Amino acid sequence: MSACKRVQQWATFARTWHIFDCKWQDPYQSAGVIKKYLMGMHKPIYHPLNDCGDVVVCINSREIALRGEDWRRRAYFHHTGYPGGASWTLAWELHNKDPTMIIRKAVYRAMQGNLQRRHTMERLFIYPGEDIPEDVLQNVTNQIRQLRLVPTRLDHIPEEEVKNYPKVMDYPEDYILK
Amino acid sequence: MATIIRNGFSLVRKSIFPSSARAIATTKQLNIKEIREQKDGSKLVIEGVTLPSPRAELLVRAEKLTPSAIASEESDVTKPCYLCALELDVKHTDVLILSQFVRSDGCMLPRRVTGLCRRQQKKIGKMVSMAQKAGLMINLTPAYCKKDPRKRKDYKKFNTYFDEKTIFMKRIPDQNDRFKR
Repeated sequence: MSACKRVQQWATFARTWHIFDCKWQDPYQSAGVIKKYLMGMHKPIYHPLNDCGDVVVCINSREIALRGEDWRRRAYFHHTGYPGGASWTLAWELHNKDPTMIIRKAVYRAMQGNLQRRHTMERLFIYPGEDIPEDVLQNVTNQIRQLRLVPTRLDHIPEEEVKNYPKVMDYPEDYILK
Repeated sequence: MATIIRNGFSLVRKSIFPSSARAIATTKQLNIKEIREQKDGSKLVIEGVTLPSPRAELLVRAEKLTPSAIASEESDVTKPCYLCALELDVKHTDVLILSQFVRSDGCMLPRRVTGLCRRQQKKIGKMVSMAQKAGLMINLTPAYCKKDPRKRKDYKKFNTYFDEKTIFMKRIPDQNDRFKR
């Protein structure tokens, strides 16, 4: 094998580290994307028996956004195994206890339940904030695109821009300002 | 007989208290007004000051944008209101548009002020409340509100986004995440 081909071989089977910013992202929608990178399904050489999955680092998992009333409607089930050991934890309660748990469970459920799943999950790193260890950060070479736009708050938009923004609604002629 | 007496009474009443006098205005009742209260000493002065509409030169209307296209459209379909005519895809995150339909304390303006059609008024009103719940317009809220979402309690504390498709749904279906439970 020539030197050039050897390097190509290394590059093909090397693990790439991807970073994903969970800020204002739906964990259940982004789980599908994260799973794809974790299992290596974005590669043309993908095969279930081929160990070609990548590493994904999720940051800002405390800032995830759930849709509508999901924070109080979604329940996470756990059973201790003893009689009467069932418990249902609401999504906001779980997020209070561990801000990384919702995204981890979402990715775990997005994958098929086979023997490989637990090993694939080992390649997922989740951090609640932006501070991640230096040795993790220096491996990262790629960023996964966010699925949803991060919304801007009205008080964070500069006043000049608010003032010069086109106007859609005009007051009626006899309106009394308040 | 009774009708004649009733009509006679109403004629007499109208001649004494002429109600039509209220409809005649000697002053021009146009322009936006602002009510100002001034207090100097024991005297309280309340005056209505006429003001020009703020940022009127930035007003966007569909008929001004493309006069020829709108004129041809008007022959077959007329749009019920100015927002329908603009054909904007407004999302609940477009706070710069939504804040125009809102009073300074964050309440939605009524339809007689906004001049929207029924459907658009409902849609904009719902999107305003979505933006408020998501904490995107927290500078436009009453003083007693817990403004910052981080300072709210329980499930209100965390980021929430909304789907605009659910606005006109009778019953909002559970999110289908296709995962096993």
